[in-house]
Amino acid sequence: MDRRKKREKTTVTKPSTVDASSPPKISPSEAFIVTLSSVLGLGLAFYVANSGFSIDLVTDPSRTIFFIWLVELPIVILLYSRYRQNPRQCMCLVFVCHVQYLRAVGRGLLAVPIGALLNCLGAIALGAPVTFQFLPKTVNWSLMMSLFTTVPASCVLGSSWAHWKRIFAQTQPNGSVEYLICLPAHGAVIGGWFGAWPMPLDWERPWQEWPICVSYGAIGGYLVGLVASCVFVLACARSQHVKQT
Amino acid sequence: MKEREIEGAARRRKITGKWGYTWHLWVTLLLHIAAIVLFTRGFLLTRTELPYYSNSSDVSESQCLYSSSHNNTTTSSWTKPAVNRLIIIVLDALRFDFVAPSTFFPESKHWMDKLKVLKEVVSKSPTSAKIFKAIADPPTTSLQRLKGLTTGGLPTFVDVGNSFGAPAIVEDNFLNQLVQSGKKVVMMGDDTWTQLFPHHFERSYPYPSFNVKDLDTVDNGCIEHLFPSLYEDDWDVLISHFLGVDHAGHIFGVDSTQMTEKLEQYNSILEKVIEVLEKESGPGRLHENTLLVVMGDHGQTLNGDHGGGGAEEVETAIFAMSVKKPPSSVPVEYDTSSCQLDLDGKNVCVSSMQQLDFAVTMSALLGIPFPYGSIGQVNPELYALGAGSWNLDVSQQLSESDIWIQNYANILCINSWQVKRYIDAYSASSAVGFSSDDLSRVASVYAQAENHWLHSTKKLRLDKRDIDALVPALKKQIESYFNFLRTVAELARSKWTEFDLRMMGAGIAIMSISLIFQVLAILRANSQDGATLASSGYAWFFSASAFAFFLLGMRAVSFLSNSFILEEGKVANFLLSTSGIVALRKSVVKGKLLKESVGFLLLSTFCRFGIEIGLSKQASTSAFMKEYTSWILNIASGLAVWNHAAEVVPILVLIILAFWLYKATSDIFFGWPRKIVVVCTILSYMLIIVHWITENNRYILAFMPESIGRIYIPRIVYAILLGQLLLLVFAQLFRGNSSDCKTNLVVKTTAMLSAWSSTVILLSGKQGPMVAFASIVGGYCIMRLCDIEDDAKNGPQRRLSIGPFPVMQWNLFATCLFFCSGHWCAFDGLHYGAAFIGFEEFMLVPQAIILTLDTYGFSIILPVFGLPFLVAMKYKADLGKHVLFTQLSQMYTTYGLITAIMTTFTIYCVTMHRRHLMVWGLFAPKFVFDVFGLLLTDVLICLASLYYFDQGKDAHNHN
Repeated sequence: MDRRKKREKTTVTKPSTVDASSPPKISPSEAFIVTLSSVLGLGLAFYVANSGFSIDLVTDPSRTIFFIWLVELPIVILLYSRYRQNPRQCMCLVFVCHVQYLRAVGRGLLAVPIGALLNCLGAIALGAPVTFQFLPKTVNWSLMMSLFTTVPASCVLGSSWAHWKRIFAQTQPNGSVEYLICLPAHGAVIGGWFGAWPMPLDWERPWQEWPICVSYGAIGGYLVGLVASCVFVLACARSQHVKQT
Repeated sequence: MKEREIEGAARRRKITGKWGYTWHLWVTLLLHIAAIVLFTRGFLLTRTELPYYSNSSDVSESQCLYSSSHNNTTTSSWTKPAVNRLIIIVLDALRFDFVAPSTFFPESKHWMDKLKVLKEVVSKSPTSAKIFKAIADPPTTSLQRLKGLTTGGLPTFVDVGNSFGAPAIVEDNFLNQLVQSGKKVVMMGDDTWTQLFPHHFERSYPYPSFNVKDLDTVDNGCIEHLFPSLYEDDWDVLISHFLGVDHAGHIFGVDSTQMTEKLEQYNSILEKVIEVLEKESGPGRLHENTLLVVMGDHGQTLNGDHGGGGAEEVETAIFAMSVKKPPSSVPVEYDTSSCQLDLDGKNVCVSSMQQLDFAVTMSALLGIPFPYGSIGQVNPELYALGAGSWNLDVSQQLSESDIWIQNYANILCINSWQVKRYIDAYSASSAVGFSSDDLSRVASVYAQAENHWLHSTKKLRLDKRDIDALVPALKKQIESYFNFLRTVAELARSKWTEFDLRMMGAGIAIMSISLIFQVLAILRANSQDGATLASSGYAWFFSASAFAFFLLGMRAVSFLSNSFILEEGKVANFLLSTSGIVALRKSVVKGKLLKESVGFLLLSTFCRFGIEIGLSKQASTSAFMKEYTSWILNIASGLAVWNHAAEVVPILVLIILAFWLYKATSDIFFGWPRKIVVVCTILSYMLIIVHWITENNRYILAFMPESIGRIYIPRIVYAILLGQLLLLVFAQLFRGNSSDCKTNLVVKTTAMLSAWSSTVILLSGKQGPMVAFASIVGGYCIMRLCDIEDDAKNGPQRRLSIGPFPVMQWNLFATCLFFCSGHWCAFDGLHYGAAFIGFEEFMLVPQAIILTLDTYGFSIILPVFGLPFLVAMKYKADLGKHVLFTQLSQMYTTYGLITAIMTTFTIYCVTMHRRHLMVWGLFAPKFVFDVFGLLLTDVLICLASLYYFDQGKDAHNHN
C-alpha cells in the first residue's frame, strides 16, 4: 500500500549490478535534458508565481505549490513516458509506439491522485495537521510530492509490482532510467523528512508552518536527487563504455 | 569448536547462576543512582518549608524589649506601626530602566523615561518618596518571585512542603501575618495571587494570566477596581497586579510601540493614583498615613524573557512614597542613593535594595510580626519613609535622626533574633540543613551582636543620662546586626540559589561511565554469542541497528532545544511513525507481515491524535485541567450522544480486554498460582466497571452507599494487585518443570502484565482501556515485526540475536503512550486527581505511589515487564535457557541503555542551559521526569530480572 515511502538513508547503491538486458537505458545527454527540464520547470513555476502573482512559498504556499505541480505535471509525464519499458517492440510499427506512449501518459496521469493519496497518508501518519484550514495546502503538497515520487515510476514501470518493490522498497535501481526515478524520489522524501524538523522551533517565522519548510526540504532533496542521478547515469555510461572497448 | 565454546560459556553460567546474566543490571542501577544523586545535589536546589508561624507574643522571647513599663503593655506587636495603610501596585516584569531616569544609563533608549510621574514625585519631595533598584533572586518567574516577596525567603525550584499539587503557599508569609493581625487585604489583577493565597483576601478581583497575547484584560480589570477602592475604607492593604508589560514583552519585546504605549498608560494611571492620595491626605482623611509602593516582581530581557539570573532579569525597581511626610530623611550613614540630573534638569536619587528585604520591611512598617521564614533585613531607607518610624513615645532630648536610629536599632534586634530563630529551626528540622561550619560561624556573629546589645546598648538606653555615648553605641550595634544579617543572606544564597558545578560535573562523569559500561556489557554478550552473530544476516542487522541509532540520535539531539522538549510527544511520534514506515518497507521486501506493519503505522497515526489532544490541553494550562484527568471526557463535553458513548465505550473495551485475557490464557498451561492471578485480574476489571458505573449513575446509588463504589472498589483493586504480586513471588518457589522454559517465560510475563494492568487502567480513568488496547496491539505488532527477517531459508536451527531496532521501537512506543495517556513532562501534567482514587484525604506515601503508577504505568511499568515477549516470540523452537536468558539480559541492557542515553542527554542539556530562561519552566521539570523515569526503569529491570531469570542450574538439561 504505502510502499513508496522510504526513509532509509541508503542512497549509496551498487552500480556494478547493472544488467544490460531488459531495463531501458538512456544516454547521459538525455538524462541531462530530463534533469534540466525538471529544474527549469521548478524555476519557471517559482518565476510565474513570483512575477505574475507576486506570491512565493511563504506568503501563499497553497497557490505556489499549485503552480509547481501544474508546471511539473506535463514535463514529468511527457518526458518520462518516453522511457517506458519495452519500447523496443514498437520499432516496427510507429502506430503501436504511439499507443504505448499514450498508455504511459495515461498511467502517469492515473498515478497522480493515487500517489498523492499515499503521500498524504504518510504525511498524516508523521503528524501533518488535518484541520480543514490546512486542507488545500495538504492536497497541493501531496500532488507535488506525487509528481516527484510515484508519477515517473508509474510512467516508466507501469504496474509491475516487482519493479516497484525493487526500486522503492529495496533501493536497488537497475539501469540508468531507474536511477532517474529512484534517486529524486528518495531525495524528495528524505528531504521532506528533514525539512519537518524546524517546524516545532519557537522562532515564530512564517516559513515554519506546514507545508512550507517540508516543501523546501522536499524540493531541495529532489534537486539533489536529480543531480546525483545524472552523475550516476554518467558513471554508468562510462563503465559500459569501458566494458565495450 | 563453536559448540565447545558454548559449552564453556554454559559451564561458566552454571557456576555463577542467574547472577551471571543479571549482575551488570544491578551495577548499572548503582551507577545511575550515584550519578543522579550527585547531579541533583548540585543542580536541583531544595529547601524545606517549615510549618512554623510567627506569633505576636513570640517577641517577648527575644532580648530586644526593654523592661520599662510602657513596653510591657504593648508586647502584642513586634514593632510600632509606622504607616496605617499600604497600597502595593505590582507591575509585572518592570525593568529597572523603565523607572530610573535615562541619565543613569550610558545610552538613552526610547522605552526609558516613560514613567515620568515617579521621577517627578521623587525630585519634588526626596524625603517622602524614593526609587530603589531592587535586586531579585533567581528563579525570576512570577510565581517564585511572589512567593519570595511575601515569605521573605529564597524559594527554590523544589520547595519540599505540604503543598502537594496546589500552588498555595503554606509557609508563613506577609499576607498570613496581615490576616492574623486582623488587617484586611484587597487584591485585583493577576490570578496567581488567588492561587497562592486562596483564603487571605477580603475581596479579590482575579483575572486569568495565562493568555500572553492579551495585553489589556488584566490591566483594565485592575483599573476598574483600583480607583473605586481608593475611596473606600474597608481595607488596610491593597494589592494591584498589572500584567500588561510582561505580556507586551513576551509578545513584542521591550523595543516595541506596544511596550511604550503600555508604559505611558501606566504613567497616567499612577498619576491619577498619586493625585487621589494627595487629595485624601489631610488629617483624619482616608490616606492620612498611607504608603504607596510601585514595584516590579522581576525584570525582563530585551526579548521579554525572564526566569534566569541575568542582570536584566533580576534588576527591577521599587518606588515608595509616603503620603504623610516624614520629618527628615534617613541618616547619611544608611543612605545608599546616588543622584543624577534627569533630562528635565531635576535631581533624582536612586537607592538600591534586595527584594529579599521587602517582606520584613513592610511587616515592620505595618507593625505586624515578621514572617517566620524571612531572612531579609529591614531596609533603613524604605523604613525611614514611614512617618511613624520617627516617633518615640518616650520624651527624650534627642534629635530626630537619633530617635530614628534608636527605633531602627530596636527593630534590627528583633529582625536578627527572628532570622536566627529561623536558621536554628531550619537546621534542626530539615533533612539537608546547613553545614555545621556555617552554622557556628553564623552563631558566633550573632553572639557578638547580642553581647553588645545586652551589655552596652540596652544599658545605655535605660540609663537616660548618657546620651552622647548612646548614639555611637547604637550605630555600632546596627553595624553588627547588619553584619549578621548579611552573613545569613550570603549563606542562604549560596545554599539556595547557586549551582554546585563540581557536583554536577561528577554526576555527568559517572553517568557517562555508566553508558560506557552498558555498551561494554552488550558487546561482551555479543562476543560470547559470537556464533550467533556471524551466522545472522549481517547486512540487515547492521542497517537496522544503524537506523535505530539514527532515530535515537535524532531524539537525543532534539532535547537541546526547549521547543522540542515542549513538543516532545510529537517528536517521539514522528520517529515512531518513521520507524513504522521503515518496517513497512522491510515487510514489502520480504513480502510478509504486511498486515502487522500497516496496523502499526495506523496505530501510530491514532497515537498522534491522542498526543495532539494532550498537547492542546497542555497549552490551555492548569486550572481547568485538574477537573478532567482523561481526554475522553474532554472531547465528549459537547453532545449528549458523545456523553453516552464516552461512558459506554471504555466499559465495552474493558470487557473485550477481559475476554481476550481469558481466551489467551485458557489454552496455555498455567500453574495454579498464575491461573489465580489471571482470574483475579478479570475480577478487577469487573470491579472497575462497577466503579465507573457508580461514579455517574444515580440509580445504582440508591442500592448502595456512594462510598462503596468510590472508595472501597479502588482499594479492593489495589489490594488485589498486592495479592497478585505476592502470589507471583510465591509461585516462583514452585517452578513449573513440566513446561519448557519458553512457554514458562510467556506464562510469567502474561501473569505479571495482567496483574499490573488492572490498577494502571483504573488510575488512567476512562481512557485507560483504550490505551491498554493500543499498547497490546502495538506490542503485538512490534513483536511480530521483529522476526521479519527470519527467513525460512536459514532454517529453524538458526539463532538470531535481536538487534536494537525492535527495542528502540518498543521504547518509542512506550514514550508515545506516556503522551497519549494525557501526560507531559511538567508538574501540571501530573494527574493529581488520580492520586485521590480510593482515598478521601491526603496521605503522602500511598498517594505518591499511586501517582507514580498513574504517570509511568503505561510508559515504563508495562513495557519493562512486557519486554520478554519480544524474546519469547522470536524463537519458534525451544533453544534452552542459556540462549533465552542471554537474549533477555541483552535486551534488558539495550532497553536500559536507550533510556539512559535519553536521560544523559537531558542532563547535558540542563547543564548547558542552566542559565537559560526556560530552565525552571521546561528543562528542570523534564529533568525531574526523565531522571525519575530512568531510576524507575532501572529498578524495574532489576526486579524483572529477579522474576524472570530462574536459577541457571539446569541450563544443561535443556541443551
